[in-house]
Amino acid sequence: MSHLVTEQAKAETGAPLGLYVHVPFCASTCDFCAFYQVKPTARSVDGFLTGIARESEMVAWDRPLTTVFWGGGTPGLLSPGDLRRLGVVVRGIPGGATMQEWTVELAPASVTPERLAALREIGVTRVSLGVQSFQPGLLDALGRQHTREQVDRAYDRIRSAGFASVNLDLMFALPGQTAEEWAADVREAVSRGPDHISTYCLTFEEDTALWVKLSQGRVKLDPEHEARLYEATWAQLGAAGYGQYEVSNFARPGHACRHNLNTWRMHEWVGLGPSAASQQAGCRGANVADLDQWLAHLSRGERVTEDRVALTPALLAEDALIFGLRLNAGVNVVEWRDRCPDAPWLAVEALLTRLVEDGLALREDGTVRLTDRGRLLADSVGAEVMAAFAEEAVAL
Amino acid sequence: MPAKNTRNFCIIAHVDHGKTTLSDRLLEHTHTIEQRVMTDQHLDSMDLEKERGITIKSHPVTMTYRAKNGQDYKLNLMDTPGHVDFSYEVSRSLAACEGAVLLIDAAQGVEAQTVANAHLAFAQKLKVIPVINKIDLPSANLELCTRQLEDILSIPAEEAILASGKSGIGIEDILEAVVARVPSPRWTDYPQTRCLVFDSLYDSYRGCIAYVRVFSGTIKAHDMMMLMSNGQKAEVKEVGVFMPKMTKIGSLGAGDVGYIVSSIKNTADVKTGDTITLAARPATDMLPGYKEVRPLVFCGLYPLESDDYEKLKAALGRLRLNDAAFVYASESSLALGFGFRCGFLGLLHMEIIQERIRREHGVDIISTYPSVIYHVIKQGGEEMDVDNPVNMPDPGTILEIKEPTIHASIILPNDSMGDILSLIMEKRGVCEHTDTLDMNRVMLRCVLPLNEILVDFNDRLKSITHGYGSMDYELGDYLTSDLVKMDIMINGDPVDAFACIVHREKAEAKGRQLCEKLAEIIPPQMFKVAIQAAIGGKIIARDNVREMRKDVTAKCYGGDISRKRKLLDKQKEGKKKMKLIGKVSIPPDAFIKVLQNN
Ligand SMILES: Nc1nc2c(ncn2[C@@H]2O[C@H](COP(=O)(O)OP(=O)(O)O)[C@@H](O)[C@H]2O)c(=O)[nH]1
Ligand code: SF4
Ligand SMILES: [Mg+2]
Repeated sequence: MSHLVTEQAKAETGAPLGLYVHVPFCASTCDFCAFYQVKPTARSVDGFLTGIARESEMVAWDRPLTTVFWGGGTPGLLSPGDLRRLGVVVRGIPGGATMQEWTVELAPASVTPERLAALREIGVTRVSLGVQSFQPGLLDALGRQHTREQVDRAYDRIRSAGFASVNLDLMFALPGQTAEEWAADVREAVSRGPDHISTYCLTFEEDTALWVKLSQGRVKLDPEHEARLYEATWAQLGAAGYGQYEVSNFARPGHACRHNLNTWRMHEWVGLGPSAASQQAGCRGANVADLDQWLAHLSRGERVTEDRVALTPALLAEDALIFGLRLNAGVNVVEWRDRCPDAPWLAVEALLTRLVEDGLALREDGTVRLTDRGRLLADSVGAEVMAAFAEEAVAL
Repeated sequence: MPAKNTRNFCIIAHVDHGKTTLSDRLLEHTHTIEQRVMTDQHLDSMDLEKERGITIKSHPVTMTYRAKNGQDYKLNLMDTPGHVDFSYEVSRSLAACEGAVLLIDAAQGVEAQTVANAHLAFAQKLKVIPVINKIDLPSANLELCTRQLEDILSIPAEEAILASGKSGIGIEDILEAVVARVPSPRWTDYPQTRCLVFDSLYDSYRGCIAYVRVFSGTIKAHDMMMLMSNGQKAEVKEVGVFMPKMTKIGSLGAGDVGYIVSSIKNTADVKTGDTITLAARPATDMLPGYKEVRPLVFCGLYPLESDDYEKLKAALGRLRLNDAAFVYASESSLALGFGFRCGFLGLLHMEIIQERIRREHGVDIISTYPSVIYHVIKQGGEEMDVDNPVNMPDPGTILEIKEPTIHASIILPNDSMGDILSLIMEKRGVCEHTDTLDMNRVMLRCVLPLNEILVDFNDRLKSITHGYGSMDYELGDYLTSDLVKMDIMINGDPVDAFACIVHREKAEAKGRQLCEKLAEIIPPQMFKVAIQAAIGGKIIARDNVREMRKDVTAKCYGGDISRKRKLLDKQKEGKKKMKLIGKVSIPPDAFIKVLQNN
């Protein structure tokens, strides 16, 4: 089955291919963070950069890259020289010097003119700045290590460096944050005029300091409050000219993050670095989430060793629905039905009908998308989609 | 000892008036049990009996007493069950006696159960010996008690004996009165052997042990006995008396109280009230008063954990061995899974069985709303009995429904009168008599539908009267009533466990209450879920389950996809454990919570 997909993907000329690089270094650990990250040392950074180069050589690049995304961790912790070193690896990959979009996540404290110059030089087009909040008290509470002044200085420097697109990351539903405070944060972000804004509702992930607080009852979840914040955010950003295109993402026309869009549409991407996930050549999986083990795997010629699953057309169709329904544009169901005729479409159809009947989704032509109320329930919808795909396949 | 020196008697009293304590004193005084081996309340052996101060099983005991006249007497004391649920069993125990000691708490005076028990004793033509007990209490009011004896029970005041079980006052007087006033055993010269079965016990080694009062003739091991209700024959293996432990003796004779072990294994075969005679020379007439007992109150019992089904089944089987009045059959419910439809003599009986399942058998259970047996007369005259609302036929086919009623005697303080009258009205009752008992109390006699007192009547009576009210009842007639079956539906699909039969006028309120409860307890749902109460397809109340507001992960990048899938998969698997009503998945404990809430 899986080779069919690969053949097909190759055949589709211009099918996008993303590259994700996980830079696993952070100066300290944020309370809410579940990403794989470690404190950087000269040795570990060098090991990491060498590893990326080696891993890139192991990948069978079958078509040019269309997008690149450096996340972490904090890629901005790398020195300008190290950023260049990493850039050289990317540029050596087919399409690496000509792709459409190259995003790097930066923390405000690490934004220096030297780093920005290095990034511009290697070809980065888009910077995503981890602001999280403009309220000093809340920043503190998150264990974040930057000040409002640093944010402003960083933003100005990024702008004057001339990147094509700038994103600000914000977080809401922080412990103790009122609806007014959040609206003020959104206003502040908008007033700086970024091209893109991501707003993340604080999530409680296991193995985070926040999770511990939650389970000890020191922080309380309030879905109703969160729902209201979501709705207010969508309205506020929409009115300010930032169109929502995903649960947490908003952009001015032409500035949606293509790399992420491709991921959600179940296109292919290659992940490099410890813990990075890949979806390519008929297989989905991730690298081990440990710098040393990752290097050890590489020296044995192994990568994507964790959580491996074969990408069958049915799995891709299922995930295209689950993740595509998080997008405001929705999913083209007809297209997926054609690509994968022997999935349980009868059950899926029944579910979609019910979603539409209950005002959770809308259907136009072949496309299904969630309403605002439905989008707030995207996880429940996703679980239903999974349940539908678990049914016996019955042809329509 | 000749039968003329035998006295068979029981002690009857309202709960807590001191029956058990006094019995213990009598056993001590007659040296039946030495003081040092006496635990408090010797006769109530089941934990539950001690805790609730009620007697479920009979505990007969034979005492020997040398009276002041110098003669020795055999005194058989029958401890009778003291609750209306067991009124048939009580009547059989009373039928095994010639006399009854009627206890009245000197501080409380006559209570509802005192009246009911006294009437049962009169009906059995027993000689009643009134005893005013607990006279050691500073609040004892002897004058009031004697006046109530005369006014309410028509017992001459001068017959009353003053006693205190606790302080040991009047014990000798009571024993002397039993000897002097209770007649010697009746019907001893009937030509054949006749023994009245007043209870039975299951023993895992010996099978069924019948508790009997011998009226005439003798019975001994190796006799062939015969049960007169059905002609079943069996070999007698052993006979004995209660000392109070079961003690084997050679034979039982006229006037004796004792036990018979036979080749019969099953207690259900030896029915309370039956007459045992000898197969070789059988009696021609049964002792009077035998009837088949039928359960009056029904409910479904389900294990809280479905894995406990087998355990529950075994528990019911064991309880049934010792309690022929309790019946059960397996049933299944969409909402609650596999369980049993159970029948009981009354509410207390139901509570006791449930409590014993939990405690003695360690099974957590949930019960559906109790129901009574309705007589349904269908168009065209066909009649049927319905004990489970689910089986109620289509309303269009029903001509009329009759429901059982009770005659209740309720004693209450004057100042609760207004509230109790409105409670009775709310419960569709009609008051027929009001008697003044004393300065502070009245007794109401009223007719109430049995199904109205099943749920909270007694609790509310107690709370309105601050614990001073008491109630007793006997069964009345079946009366026609405007009853309807109400279904509770989730998105149009009926939930069997909540179907109930209610009076038409109360349907809407009850329907609304159930819908609200379910809507409150069912967790917020992604799809719209309507809870409706309906009578024959007509919706009379509705509510909506709260809509789920937010269930979305904020961040979902490439690296999150596998993790996200695992999460959703967990969510999906969680759904499989739920009860599916139509298309709605409901956590299994939601129904249980609603039932527990009521
Ligand atoms: N003061 C006093 N209390 C008594 C007397 N007899 C019983 N009691 C108390 O009354 C309560 C009920 O007694 P019990 O014998 O169990 O009553 P039963 O429910 O009729 O069997 C217990 O707390 C006894 O201690 C008595 O003669 N005087
Ligand atoms: S949130 Fe970002 S900066 Fe904070 S610890 Fe996690 S990866 Fe590092
Ligand atoms: Mg007692």
